[in-house]
Amino acid sequence: MNPRRDSVRILLTIAFRNLLASPVRTAILGAIILVGSLIVVVGTSVLDSIDRGMRTSIQGSLGGQLQLYDGRSEDQLALYGEMTGESRLEPIEDFSKVKAALAGLKNVKQVVPMGIDQAMVTTGNAFDLAVERLRADARRLESGETGPDLDKAYLAHKAHVRHMCELLSDQLKQARVLAAVSGKEAEERKKDRTHLDRAISPEFWDAFDRDRYGNLEFLENRIAPMVLDNGFTFLRYVGTDPQAFFRAFPLAQISKGEMIPEGRRGILVGEQYADEWLKLRNARRLDQIKDMRDRRGKRIADDEELQRWVRENRTGINEIMLQLDPVKAEQVASELRSGLGATEGETLEQLLQKLFATTDQDFDSKYKLFYDVVAPRIRLYQVNVGETITIKAPSKSGYFSSVNVKVYGFLRFKGIERSGIAGMMSVLDIHSFRDLYGYLTPEKREEIARMKAQLGAREIAREDAESALFGGGTALEGQARAGAIDERKLVVGREEVRKAAQEERIYTDADVDEGVALNAAVILQDPRKMSRTADEIRKALDRAGLGYKEVRGPDHQVAEKKGIRVIDWQTASGIVGQFVTLIRIVLFTAVVIFFAIALVIINNAMVMATLQRVKEIGTMRAIGTQRRFVVIMLLVEIATVGVVFGLGGAALGAVVVGIIRLAGGIPATTDMLYFVFSGPALFPRLGALSVGTSLTIVLLVAVLSSLYPAILAMRVTPVEAMATEE
Amino acid sequence: MAIVSVDNVSKDYMLGKTVVPALREVSLQIDQGEFISIAGPSGSGKTTLLNLIGCVDTPTAGTVVVNGQDTSLLPERALTDLRLHTLGFIFQSFNLVSVLSVFQNVEYPLLLQGGMKRRQRAARVLELLDAVGIKEYARHRPSELSGGQRQRVAIARALVTKPRIVLADEPTANLDSATGENIIDLMKEMNRDGTTFIFSTHDPKVMSHANAVVRIADGRLVERQQLARSGGSR
Repeated sequence: MNPRRDSVRILLTIAFRNLLASPVRTAILGAIILVGSLIVVVGTSVLDSIDRGMRTSIQGSLGGQLQLYDGRSEDQLALYGEMTGESRLEPIEDFSKVKAALAGLKNVKQVVPMGIDQAMVTTGNAFDLAVERLRADARRLESGETGPDLDKAYLAHKAHVRHMCELLSDQLKQARVLAAVSGKEAEERKKDRTHLDRAISPEFWDAFDRDRYGNLEFLENRIAPMVLDNGFTFLRYVGTDPQAFFRAFPLAQISKGEMIPEGRRGILVGEQYADEWLKLRNARRLDQIKDMRDRRGKRIADDEELQRWVRENRTGINEIMLQLDPVKAEQVASELRSGLGATEGETLEQLLQKLFATTDQDFDSKYKLFYDVVAPRIRLYQVNVGETITIKAPSKSGYFSSVNVKVYGFLRFKGIERSGIAGMMSVLDIHSFRDLYGYLTPEKREEIARMKAQLGAREIAREDAESALFGGGTALEGQARAGAIDERKLVVGREEVRKAAQEERIYTDADVDEGVALNAAVILQDPRKMSRTADEIRKALDRAGLGYKEVRGPDHQVAEKKGIRVIDWQTASGIVGQFVTLIRIVLFTAVVIFFAIALVIINNAMVMATLQRVKEIGTMRAIGTQRRFVVIMLLVEIATVGVVFGLGGAALGAVVVGIIRLAGGIPATTDMLYFVFSGPALFPRLGALSVGTSLTIVLLVAVLSSLYPAILAMRVTPVEAMATEE
Repeated sequence: MAIVSVDNVSKDYMLGKTVVPALREVSLQIDQGEFISIAGPSGSGKTTLLNLIGCVDTPTAGTVVVNGQDTSLLPERALTDLRLHTLGFIFQSFNLVSVLSVFQNVEYPLLLQGGMKRRQRAARVLELLDAVGIKEYARHRPSELSGGQRQRVAIARALVTKPRIVLADEPTANLDSATGENIIDLMKEMNRDGTTFIFSTHDPKVMSHANAVVRIADGRLVERQQLARSGGSR
């Protein structure tokens, strides 16, 4: 046998036996290392999985791998908004230039123009809806259609509107007793009162059929505005090229309806947004109760929040009552009666009360009953597929503009549909987005061209269009704003024509590209080469004269920023992206603190062990053991503890990770976590990297903490062996 | 030719800020095969002299030549090698490696030396254990043995490498007199094949076994007394 191997063997034997000789010390050191290794393995596994989840969520829903935005912007791009709302971005003036600059790059698969913002959606109210139905019937009657069903429906809808007027009258009376006002407002009110009185008078309804359109007009113009619950909500959307968007983001899916046809204007409403803001509140609460029961295993009997929802549902039945005309009301009542096993005498209100008074025992059957009987007869969402909605937003030059867009469908992001962060997002065509913000659209460009032709105008810069057209002449506030065209002045009298034309128009790719975008997502062929490609993009932009530059003033402060900035998806995701960084810092700090303490403890223990063995070490030295041997022996000792217990900790970590997975993962209890986990639960995955990392750290700490004791051992002289015990 | 040559050696220790002279200008020649005792009261400098001869310490002044090598000229690694190959040590408190078995303790210097086949090595170790009479305890741990048995293991360990010199610092001090006597007899037996034994003691009975006694007091060599010719030098 190799002599060297023999001495290694004796070295190992001594080291192991020394470990076994003081089992308590070894056990304590081992326990520390085991726990440390466990923390690192589980921590990094969870963190890696979170990282992966975030990557999936962000890259697959909105971020791509890289994002471009204009360097002049006040804020940094934050795809999911910031604490204070949307990030304020300066527009990329001409997206086509940016796209062209990136065209030659091999790793760039796709560049998707985007504009993310919030807009108001007016949702209308039950009264509008009832009048709308009545109008539809009236139209058919006026066109000469007849039939028992139509007559019946017409009468039912008329009765519905009349009933609503009466309800409204009662409501307003109560409201106005509470607040007395004077002056102009009082006068307004008096007028309202007169209108309402007319609307509830039997004469009005008796004579209704004599002038159907006139009376409908009266109801729409005079009565409808008085309805108090005329609501609107805020819609978060991304204005983009929908086709390109769906190609770029694999998580995006149509959950209802259809895709916006190529080149058309239109909107896909975020499913989660629709559920949360546009769905009938009672239905929404039923969904939430079901969700809590099914997914979280909660029970109505012992959960305060579920009980509150049940209570609210019982008081919320008015919303449903208002939507049911007499015919439908009767149908619902009779079906509920049999479904709930109620007696003939019970009214619809009582039946609905009963329906919504859910308990753990009957929840599932009542839930089904609601969706089978009530839901099909009411408007479950305030916005439905196929309808046209009006979106309003303050444009960059300050006034409110609005666009009408057709809802082609509902949209969800697969896997993270329940996350409020991604699920709230709707997809709007980019032309409507540009319209909303007063940026130049193909129509406006044509409009300007026409006007120029009419005026015989000279070539003018886009920024000067407004002043050139309207004779402002001097420097205007709005001048610096890219393409801010005062829509009202431009299109006076053409509104209707324009809107009709817009719905029909089919836009080309060039229309999409040649215009403003707030940011752009870059999708890469190979995401692993992200940072290298980012550099290539920066260079390409530089070559195209679009590179990001900071011009410093005489005081060395940044005076001007210009060009296009390139950031990665994690930076672009703003606060959301920082979440992982935050967890990483927390974990890292915990690990550092833990191992700092471990270092001290191990060091102490090993110093003690060395001092105890001074005589033995001295003897070994005296009979011819080299210093190196002694040092290695000590390091082998601690390294053995490190490897054995480090592996043990890693194995235990694997078991913990396995148990977490078996138990259904770490549940995403908040919206944020849902997004971060890219699903309802996080399934941590044990990576070779995390095990490797933990073993490396553990070994490093173990060896590091033994360096001082090893030096002590090295300094032991053979003379110590001679020292007598006294 | 002398195997150990101590020439005009002084050794000082620092005790706080005062210099304590442990040895003063000591000169001594020891020949191959001698069985020599260094005697003197405790604190006289016996151990210091042994340490210098044993290459575990170096003199402040003067030269120590062991087996032809001037120890003050050798680096630490070479001194260690000299100890491994030329010297054997027997300690007052036996100093066995507690976690190793009797066999492994004796085997240990051979492993450090290397170059021997496993079977050869085992044969040599058992031969030595047999010679000191504790072959049947080969698998025991030192803690399972009596003091005398432990010292026998130590003697086997000191001799297993066939060193030219064996140093023993008060080898019998921790043993009862009968056992001590046995140990000395054993050492003397080992001396017969030419190994030089240098041992310190303050026990006159032990001294009487030596062929020469070197007396030391207050760090100075008082006398060298020749008692008898040892077997090995012939």
